[in-house]
Amino acid sequence: MNPPEDPTGSGRAGEGLSALGLSPEDTELLNELGDLLVLADPVPSDLVARIQFALELENPEFIEIATRAHTAELAGVRSQAGPSTMTFTVEDLTVMVSIAPAAGGHRFDGWLVPSGPHTVEVRVDGHDSQTTAADDGGRFVLTNVPLGCTQLLVHLAVPEGQRPRTVVTPTIMR
Amino acid sequence: MVMTGKRGGTRVDAATSGAGPSLEDANMADAPWWELSGYERHAACLVAARSGDRQALDALVQDLTPLVWHVARAQGVERAQAEDVVQTVWLTLLRKLDSVAEPRALARWLITTTRREALRVQRSTDNEAPLVDEVLDKLRAQDGLPEQEVLKRDRNTALWTAFRTLSKRCQEILRLTVLAGRAEYNAVAETLQIPRGSIGPTRNRCLTTLRGALSNETEGGSS
Repeated sequence: MNPPEDPTGSGRAGEGLSALGLSPEDTELLNELGDLLVLADPVPSDLVARIQFALELENPEFIEIATRAHTAELAGVRSQAGPSTMTFTVEDLTVMVSIAPAAGGHRFDGWLVPSGPHTVEVRVDGHDSQTTAADDGGRFVLTNVPLGCTQLLVHLAVPEGQRPRTVVTPTIMR
Repeated sequence: MVMTGKRGGTRVDAATSGAGPSLEDANMADAPWWELSGYERHAACLVAARSGDRQALDALVQDLTPLVWHVARAQGVERAQAEDVVQTVWLTLLRKLDSVAEPRALARWLITTTRREALRVQRSTDNEAPLVDEVLDKLRAQDGLPEQEVLKRDRNTALWTAFRTLSKRCQEILRLTVLAGRAEYNAVAETLQIPRGSIGPTRNRCLTTLRGALSNETEGGSS
C-alpha cells in the first residue's frame, strides 16, 4: 500500500510534479498551464454538489439516463432568467419541458413522447419532490416548482410484473 | 419507487474526520475508506457505495470529478456541455455500481466512459452552430488592465491557443499531469499512477509540441 500523502492538501500546487522526473523547464511550463486552467477552465464550483444531489436516487439500478437533445438555449436555462425549453431523450422516450418564471419559483410545462400514463417527478435540492401524472396527450404541468438545483424524473408506466423504469435527467438548474 | 426529496444526513469530511460510517464490507482493505488515500480509497469507497454508503459515493464524486471534468474538456466539449457529460458519467456509475468489475480500476473506467460520452455529445452537436471557445473569450475579455496584467493575459491567451492545437490525447495527458501535481488532487495523482510507465515518453512529446506551438503563437503569430 502506498503511504498516504497529506490528504488535507496543504502542499503547494505543482510540487507533485517533481516525482515525474520532468526537467525544470517542463515543470515550469506545466505549472503555468496549471495556473491557466485554474483561472480559465476550473471545475464549476457547484458541480460536485449538483452531482451528489443528482445521485440521491433510490433503486438506481432501474434508472435510464436521459441526455440533452438540444443545447441551443443552454445559456438561458442556466441563468434562470426567461422562459426556456429543453429536450431530453432516452431510446424510446422524449421529454420536452418549458420552464418559465412564476411566483416563488418556476412553472414547468412538459410533454412526453410517446405519451403514456407516466408519472413525472421534479426533485429540487432542499425541498420535497413534486409529482404529477402526464395526461392522455403526454402533457404535464407543475405550476410552482421552487428555485434550486433541479432534476427531472419520469417513472414510466410498465405492465404489471415488468422491470420498473425511471428516466432521469442531469440537473437542469443551479 | 420512492425517491429521496431531500439531501440525506450530514457529510463527513473524510480527509480530516476520524469518525465515519460503519463499513460492513471491508474485504477490500483493512482500514475504512476514510482513512485511505489514492486508489485504495477509491476502491474501498466503491465497495462501500455498493452496500449503500452514501458518504462513500459522495467522497468518490468529490475526489474524482476533476478527473472526469478535465477528460471531458480535453475531448473538446464546451464547458456547459461538459457539465452534462460529467453528470451522465456519474449517473452511469451509479447505475452500474455492481458491475464495474474492478474497483481498483475505477479511474480507468471513468476516463473511458467520459471519452465515450464526450464523443457521443460531439457527434450529436456536429450539425449545430460551430462551438465557441469560451475560455479564449474569457481570457480576452479582461479590458482595462494594467500593463503587466495585459502581458500576463496575452501570455495566457497564447498558451491556451497553443494548448488547443494539441491532440486530444496530449491535452488529456497534460491536464491530468497538472491535476496530479496539485496538492488538493493527491487522490487523483495516486489513481493515475496505476498504469505506470508508458505515459512518460508521450508526455514529453506533448510538452515539446506545446512548446513549439507556443513559440509560434508568441513570435510568428503576432506579426
